[in-house]
Amino acid sequence: MFTFTKAKKAMAAALATGMLASFVTGCGGGGDKKADDKKAASGQAEKFKFGVTNFADSLEPTDNYFGWVVMRYGLGECLFKFDEKMVVQPWVADKWSVSEDKLTWTIHIRDNVTFSNGKKCDAEAVKKSIERVFAKSKRAGTFFAYTKMEAKGQDLMITTKEPMPNLNGALSDPLWLIVDVTSDKAAGGDRDFSKQGPICTGPYKVKSFVKEKAVMESNDTYWGGKPPYKVVEIPSIDDPNTRAMALQSGEIDAAVNIAAGDMTLFRGKDKFRVSELASLRTVITRLNQREGRILNDKRVREALVSSLDRETYNKVLLKGTFIAGKAPVPPSLDYGFDQLKDPNAYNVERAKKLLAEAGWKDTNGDGILDKDGKPLQLTIVTYNSRAELPLYSEAIQADAKKVGIDIKINTVDYNLVDRMGINGEFDLMISNNITAPTGDPEIYLNWYWRTNVDGNNPQNGTGYSNPAYDELMAKLAVEFDKGKRREMMIKAQQIILDDCASIFMGYPQTNMVSSSKIANADIKPADYYWLTPEIKPAK
Amino acid sequence: MKMSDKTTFRVFTGLVLLIIAAAIFAPLITSFDPYATNMKDALMEPGGNHIFGTDKLGRDCFARILYGARVSLSMTMVIVVLMTAIGTAIGIVAGYCGGRVDMVLMRISDLMLAFPGVVLAIAIAGIMGGSAINTILALTVVGWTKYARLARSLTMKIRDRDFVAAAVTNGTRPIQVLYRHILPNIILTIIVTAAMDIGTMIMEIAGLSFLGFGAQPPTPEWGLMLNEGRQVIQTAPWVMLYPGLAILIVVAIFNTWGDCLRDIMDPRGNN
Repeated sequence: MFTFTKAKKAMAAALATGMLASFVTGCGGGGDKKADDKKAASGQAEKFKFGVTNFADSLEPTDNYFGWVVMRYGLGECLFKFDEKMVVQPWVADKWSVSEDKLTWTIHIRDNVTFSNGKKCDAEAVKKSIERVFAKSKRAGTFFAYTKMEAKGQDLMITTKEPMPNLNGALSDPLWLIVDVTSDKAAGGDRDFSKQGPICTGPYKVKSFVKEKAVMESNDTYWGGKPPYKVVEIPSIDDPNTRAMALQSGEIDAAVNIAAGDMTLFRGKDKFRVSELASLRTVITRLNQREGRILNDKRVREALVSSLDRETYNKVLLKGTFIAGKAPVPPSLDYGFDQLKDPNAYNVERAKKLLAEAGWKDTNGDGILDKDGKPLQLTIVTYNSRAELPLYSEAIQADAKKVGIDIKINTVDYNLVDRMGINGEFDLMISNNITAPTGDPEIYLNWYWRTNVDGNNPQNGTGYSNPAYDELMAKLAVEFDKGKRREMMIKAQQIILDDCASIFMGYPQTNMVSSSKIANADIKPADYYWLTPEIKPAK
Repeated sequence: MKMSDKTTFRVFTGLVLLIIAAAIFAPLITSFDPYATNMKDALMEPGGNHIFGTDKLGRDCFARILYGARVSLSMTMVIVVLMTAIGTAIGIVAGYCGGRVDMVLMRISDLMLAFPGVVLAIAIAGIMGGSAINTILALTVVGWTKYARLARSLTMKIRDRDFVAAAVTNGTRPIQVLYRHILPNIILTIIVTAAMDIGTMIMEIAGLSFLGFGAQPPTPEWGLMLNEGRQVIQTAPWVMLYPGLAILIVVAIFNTWGDCLRDIMDPRGNN
């Protein structure tokens, strides 16, 4: 083992020297030679520049979904993580077991894990971190609830009231990344988590952070070995086309989410390496069906969905980089995609018929239907940082117009999307959502479609409610049997489709494109593993 | 020299009329509907049925550019007329009344001038939300000061002339003096200035739409089309090229036309 590490180190050193040589050729002089030796000694490459889209203006992981960014930037780590097949694997924890009565989980924290400030990460520290999430985040309770949590050395015991079959999956969500609570200013520490970033266990730590650009530096005490780069610059380039051009010009070494239309610029080119896979995401259009809204009428919802040619959006407009949408859970996860039936597939005649049945007629001849003097006018809320969303929105607008529905597009900043979704400030809201934050779609199916009683399920801002669905989800919550869980989730999806609760636009391929000088810049199914310690200079 | 000035003016007047005719008779020139999407034909190269190609939703780019001329020109006309009218009215009053009225009105105009124009327009359009009407408002709010200053100085130049004094002595009401005696004597210069502003306004409208503060999709507006084309600039450059050319050509024609108009109206040139 020792010799292996040594060999690896030597290799990395040779690599760094080689890379550097190409830079210093022609400069000459003793100074360069010295610098050269220094690099070789540390075994780290100088800098990696990574173009991303960032929605977070704070690094406080319990705020909004900012934990995602903390994890994406190589700063935070959870107890567990998902592998390529979304199976839970150890991360900061290395072993776990569940008691006979299925109520108590014993999780063992790796012995050699320290925080980036050098403090040891023991069970007590993890416990404090979990308690902090419960204290600060409303979303915490939607993952699990515990009755008792105990720390003994490196062992953390969590007891739940009901059996919690997927606790380790739940703890893999970035919301639960481990922070050193004692370093938080609020707890008497010296660090402002939102501006300086939390103290975590990941390979990189924050040097500076603003929304537009983060600079990370190597966490030299990282438990997984020395990270490959001394500094990682992470500019946020929200415009997809600019991001692609920055990558082409060499301004950045790697980028995430290159737009569908631009992929042809990178595929099959020697200078670039493309990592693509069918993501676990779904582009959903939420339909606000609260009392008093036009879409409260199921027939209007069905008409709207039937009027949309989703097949063409995905195959032609998005050049096949998206799979046409049908059900809540994408086909990349095995939850009955093929057996689910969409009663509202593309059918313009049906759409027109349904609208007529619902009493909408074009009385003034302007091409827009109306009823009781009110036009059939809806607003769709969208955001720009994902290139497909405005395109889908305009396609919806165009197709809906053909059956007499007038749709206005309201483009907002991503940061407003979560709030507007919760408050129901929309008729339609399109967003690109992850479907398996805990490894399977249970929590996702809960978030958007379980009845929201006085804000106890805030993500469901559409007012959708079906007791049969709620009952099914309650049963699912305590079911350990994998096969039965799958059946239940298939059934749940069919209810959503039959109720025409939302529109499932498509399932994206996700990608990370890098310069061929970089190795292992791979996109993972769970897309909060971006800057991993595996990303390093290529040979 | 004089002949040549007039000839150029005639040529460019012809071109201006041609643009206006193209906008008005767009339905006769192309059979495509600028709003009609045919998603199966998205991003088709120029040629065949679609001489300028199609955009991301399969709409005919040529039709969108022709109809876009309607949008751009009508918005421009409204803005130019509005800001000329408002600016001139305020300027004449300020120049004729003088004293406190002048001071108050001119300080307001100074205040407006202190802001960088386009930035203020973006702020206004941004706060009120993007739409054609808000663009018109924003650009008018920013643009009137120039006319107010111009009208004021022109008015001050002639307000002490004998024919004005004669009118006042005869008991003409101030409103009538402004309307009958002052305005006709300054209007020519104002019109020339307005004509030269048309090109600028087309650019600014396109600019605001490009930034997302002006016309909203699916309106065929050149600036907006330019922005839509930006996303596919490397893979479908025609979506951006033609609206860009349209802006370039139309602005160049209107600007040159404005210059010619000034040249033949300029009293010094006539001497």
